[in-house]
Amino acid sequence: MKDGGLENKKELENSKKQSKSSKFRSKSDDFALAIAKVAVAQVCESVGFQSFQHSALETLSDVTARYIYTLGKTTNFNANLAGRLESNVFDVIQGLEELESGLGFAGASDINRCLAKSGFVRDIVHFVGDAADVRFAYDVPRFPVVKERKGMGSFQEKGEEPHGEHIPSWLPAFPDPEAYATESTVGNGTTSGSDGVKTGLVRIERKIEWPLLNFQQQFARNGNVGDSSCVGGDSGKAWEVSNSNPYLAAPLHFGEKEVDVSPVVLPTKLSNEVASRDPVSENRFVGNHVSVLETFAPAIEGIKSGMCEYSSKQKNVLYNQRPTVHFKIGIGKKSLNTAPDFISKNKDLQKIAYWFENDNEKDDRKRRAENFMKESMECSQEPGQL
Amino acid sequence: MNHNQQSNDGKHDDDSALSDFLASLMDYTPTIPDELVEHYLAKSGFQCPDVRLIRLVAVATQKFVADVASDSLQHCKARQAAVVKDKRDKQQKDKRLILTMDDLSKSLREYGVNVKQQEYFADSPSTGMDPASRDE
Repeated sequence: MKDGGLENKKELENSKKQSKSSKFRSKSDDFALAIAKVAVAQVCESVGFQSFQHSALETLSDVTARYIYTLGKTTNFNANLAGRLESNVFDVIQGLEELESGLGFAGASDINRCLAKSGFVRDIVHFVGDAADVRFAYDVPRFPVVKERKGMGSFQEKGEEPHGEHIPSWLPAFPDPEAYATESTVGNGTTSGSDGVKTGLVRIERKIEWPLLNFQQQFARNGNVGDSSCVGGDSGKAWEVSNSNPYLAAPLHFGEKEVDVSPVVLPTKLSNEVASRDPVSENRFVGNHVSVLETFAPAIEGIKSGMCEYSSKQKNVLYNQRPTVHFKIGIGKKSLNTAPDFISKNKDLQKIAYWFENDNEKDDRKRRAENFMKESMECSQEPGQL
Repeated sequence: MNHNQQSNDGKHDDDSALSDFLASLMDYTPTIPDELVEHYLAKSGFQCPDVRLIRLVAVATQKFVADVASDSLQHCKARQAAVVKDKRDKQQKDKRLILTMDDLSKSLREYGVNVKQQEYFADSPSTGMDPASRDE
């Protein structure tokens, strides 16, 4: 059975690949298929159905799409057969007859029939006369949307001279030389002392990063290799980008700190040493997830302004630049007031809530904070119980 | 000569009927949107600036879908009637007409589309077995 399973798997993968590589069903077709599903559902509803199975609807919409596709293909073929590029109404009718030939239609056996009075056309006329005029439910935009591609400038257009005689001027120009790293800057770092080396290295890294950023930005914008004419304007932007994007900034060395250390609270794992000494930190220790800390952040800031000395010990350099991650560890239970020792803790909670009570704070914010506290208490209890 | 003239008139009538029909198509809005039809026709290589042809294709497709749907509706109703004959008390419950894969595959088969579906998936050794023998 195991071997049979493996074989089936391979066949399944092969069939999947085949179906994926077939030109008809592609990833970009999802939108069209979705619209087809809606249209088919509307037609079914007008026929009399009240509901449908999802698989049935998908199958029918797929068949409908293939019907249109096959009809177009046959029509085009008929037109090409007659030596035309553009299709005709008679091509369409002939294609329709071919599709309907399985079921048969009036006059199919007549070899001298005129297409204009084809039985199928008569059926369609009757259908149009009988069927109710049900419009499509949504407004469909024209698709697929064609994106305007900015072409790369050729040597001629840019006014540049190609580098050698073997390169014709109508070819696209080479990218800017700064867009790829050069070796000449490496030598600068070795001349000065130890500090100088560090700064030199940092400088080199930054210099390499900016042009690369530059390059990537242009690549993203044009969809091609970047234009040399855009370099000047982008260098400033690239610097800003590298400045704001913490992942692209130069790495900080040991002992080095950023100038702005904002007194934002950290997760308790890092501030454990502080927590043991601090009476206020009790609530921080309780709340293991950042969301609790976040609600108390404005209040804690005021208190922490008196404790700036502790912040220097912590490595909050990295955390300044990243946005706070909001994740909740623990079981997502709503706080129930049925815990046995909850009543004893209630007083502590009230005390803590009172510390952070502000005249400006609204009542619902206080309530929300209390709820957070309760839930965090629950969460901290349960791992202990396990 | 007379016969030729008559046949020519006949052809002219047919042509005019067709052109009238195509003109009337512009008044009728098919349920299948034009953009969808244009997308699939463009994919297949169909080239025509005439909007009436696209409407014709849309109407023909709608007719096709309506035919398939009505056939499966008949299958569904026939099955419900057969069930009701056995159990009269279920008459009130099974009023909902649901398009199922069974009915759809039966009606599509007449149109030359073979849709086959698995009846069950054997994901455990006891699938499809009698409950009596399952205990062993």
